[in-house]
Amino acid sequence: MGSLFRSEEMLLCQFFLQSEAAYNCVSELGELGSVQFRDINRDMNSFQRKFVNEVRRCAEMERKLRFLETEMHKDGIEVLDSGENPDTPQPKDMIDMEATFDRLETELLEVNANAEALNQNFLELTELKQILLKTQGFFNEHDGNLEPGEALKSEVKKMSLIPPDLSAQEDQQGQLGFLAGVISRDRLPPFERMLWRACRGNVFIRTNEIETPLKDPITGDEVHKCVLLIFYQGEQLKTLVRKICEGFRANLYPCPETANERQDMAMGVMARIEDLKTVLSQTQDHRHRVLVAASKNLHNWWIKVRKIKAIYHTLNLFNLDVTNKCLIAEGWIPAPEMESVQLALRRGTERSGTSVPPIVNRMSTRENPPTYNRTNKFTRAFQDLVDAYGVAAYREVNPAPYTIITFPFLYATMFGDFGHGTIMTLFALWMVLNEKKLQAKKKLNEIFLTFFHGRYLLLCMGLFAIHNGHMYNDCFGKPLNIYGSSFRVNYK
Amino acid sequence: MVLMTEYQFNIDSGYLEGLVRGFKNGILTRADYLNLVQCETLEDLKLHLQSTDYGNFLANEPGSLAVATIDDKLREKLVIEFQHMRHMSYEPLSTFLDFITYSYMIDNIILLITGTLHQRPISELIPKCHPLGSFEQMEAIHVASTPAELYNAVLVDTPLAPFFVDCISEKDLDEMNIEIIRNTLYKAFLEAFYKFCEDLGGATADTMCKILAFEADRRAFIITINSFGTELTKDDRAKLYPRCGLLYPDGLAMLARADDYEQVKSVAGYYSEYSVLFEGAGNNPGEKTLEDKFFEHEVELNMLAFMQQFHYGIFYSYLRLKEQECRNIVWIAECVAQKHKAKIDNYIPIM
Repeated sequence: MGSLFRSEEMLLCQFFLQSEAAYNCVSELGELGSVQFRDINRDMNSFQRKFVNEVRRCAEMERKLRFLETEMHKDGIEVLDSGENPDTPQPKDMIDMEATFDRLETELLEVNANAEALNQNFLELTELKQILLKTQGFFNEHDGNLEPGEALKSEVKKMSLIPPDLSAQEDQQGQLGFLAGVISRDRLPPFERMLWRACRGNVFIRTNEIETPLKDPITGDEVHKCVLLIFYQGEQLKTLVRKICEGFRANLYPCPETANERQDMAMGVMARIEDLKTVLSQTQDHRHRVLVAASKNLHNWWIKVRKIKAIYHTLNLFNLDVTNKCLIAEGWIPAPEMESVQLALRRGTERSGTSVPPIVNRMSTRENPPTYNRTNKFTRAFQDLVDAYGVAAYREVNPAPYTIITFPFLYATMFGDFGHGTIMTLFALWMVLNEKKLQAKKKLNEIFLTFFHGRYLLLCMGLFAIHNGHMYNDCFGKPLNIYGSSFRVNYK
Repeated sequence: MVLMTEYQFNIDSGYLEGLVRGFKNGILTRADYLNLVQCETLEDLKLHLQSTDYGNFLANEPGSLAVATIDDKLREKLVIEFQHMRHMSYEPLSTFLDFITYSYMIDNIILLITGTLHQRPISELIPKCHPLGSFEQMEAIHVASTPAELYNAVLVDTPLAPFFVDCISEKDLDEMNIEIIRNTLYKAFLEAFYKFCEDLGGATADTMCKILAFEADRRAFIITINSFGTELTKDDRAKLYPRCGLLYPDGLAMLARADDYEQVKSVAGYYSEYSVLFEGAGNNPGEKTLEDKFFEHEVELNMLAFMQQFHYGIFYSYLRLKEQECRNIVWIAECVAQKHKAKIDNYIPIM
């Protein structure tokens, strides 16, 4: 308990580690968590340090893991936090991990590319189907006008003296050509306006909205679209209309003129859509299976990659000795932990299989050592509260243990309500009892996380609030009369 | 004048001013540039940029790094910042920020028309356009073959319509005409922007008018120097000079009559700020080029804008400074990638 009232005694030590054993020693020290290393290579640029390439490889592995995680997130697969702490892999295991990640990434990219192509196809077929459905209505009125006209024209042709090919030209001159397409709804007004301006009002456009939103293959967003039917006369207008459609990214589809052909096409399109749907669902299944298999190990991989990266970052702080035989490191350790640090170093050298023991050398220095307050999960909240006002100097009195009582008490003096205090205590108690479960959840709300970190603080505050509410005789704002009055009239 | 008092500025634009000043503090310093210059590969460059305000912007790029990727990502970050500011702004700051985007729109239009002239498909040209200058009708620009059509079909609905008044003609769009259109559009835009800032008054007018006047004069000088030896007549040239700078009206008249570089330099001699820039500028190795000197002066003016508070000039200045920084980083990246470090120090230091 002596160390709770002031910060720990710190020693500045110099470590001499053999180059082969350095990795494992740092890994053991990292698991212990008692050493704060100093940056000896302060003047070196970040890319001139010794282990820069390894750090880059770790960054590349992290990028692949991030990619996998976003893909899983897209599919809605949850990554489970098993809570276990895997060991640090050896440097040679890094190559295996890199190969695994690489393989997963290429496989996923391939599957994605295939799915994109299939989705694009599906989108085109769906749009074509919608066109054929919606334009039915337009053409009925159009054909209705033309039907008797056409019959008349064909009779005229039979009876005419003009040779057939010329009369065909005449037919074409009076005939309106049309283009059918699909455009997204938000682009429709500027498109219509530009069409009007560019063609000087000589084209006729009919639109109809598609109710269900269609899925864009690249981004995956659902977009609302409209079916267009543009009627024009002459070849020049046709090219102009095509250019404008291309500019506004409206997809044009060939739409046959007669009703029968449209019916046949519609049947064909529906059949192809059904086939595509089965293929698509199979692709999705395959992708899902790959991701689910990867998601089981994702959390472990993250921890392993982070550990490797941290070790190499720490190794970058060390100085390589002139004879290239050992690495020199400087760090602060708390005096009581000297034993455990030496044990950890010995474990590290044993794991790497070298015989030279690491040397820990105490340095005497005039520098001000850092302040280290040993806390557990209960006292950490109070220590953080005190540190927010300012970290105590080395070996200065630590106000935190007194804060455990005084802070909740002062809070309760101001709060002082039995009923509301009970609610607060119950909330804090729930957080404390479900600690493990809540900590395992990754996506906690930021505000809730603030309360969660201070759960013990809230618990103490709640208990004191109940006590003070009892003293103030106040429950949910209403006065409580339990003990009767303590007022005594003393004069006779 | 009353609307722009310091008391009322923070109500609408206080958050954005704080944001821009925070961004400005993250601009790379000389120390950063010294570190960047020492890089041997593009990966080193990426590693060093991670410790600056840019952070992990290149972290998700697969494969080996290319200078074009770095350029794209730098620009993307700037675009996101600018669009956030535009979305959070009130009038008149919104109009001010819109004015800034018009210059990018002009560049995009000219890029698309030039590309169409060289028979490039529109899908290849669209990714090259600057995102800040995109507007709805942009992709359908290739339907126009004369400026009149361009105006009637495409530009009349965009905010650039009033600037196009001087450019409408029935001639076909070809190389020379396109440059003239670009400069005429830019002249109309600059004069409109200058008038807008002047009307805003206060510190905005102070800083922006100075910066825009320099921009106008710089364009006048560059147009003159670039037109020597081309078919551009002196009258046509005179029509392209923006009139909102210090050179108007006498300097512009003299420039219109200039025939070679020495005459241009003598015109600059009448104005103390510009004579300093022309001195010592040349194309010999070891000397700074005139363009570099102009860039340096622009950086100076933009940094001065941050010395005053409660005005809109800092938004414009921040954008320009960040663009200069992007140009610097891309220059250094090119030198590093090609392993040709002779001219690597030709960047313009900002802070």
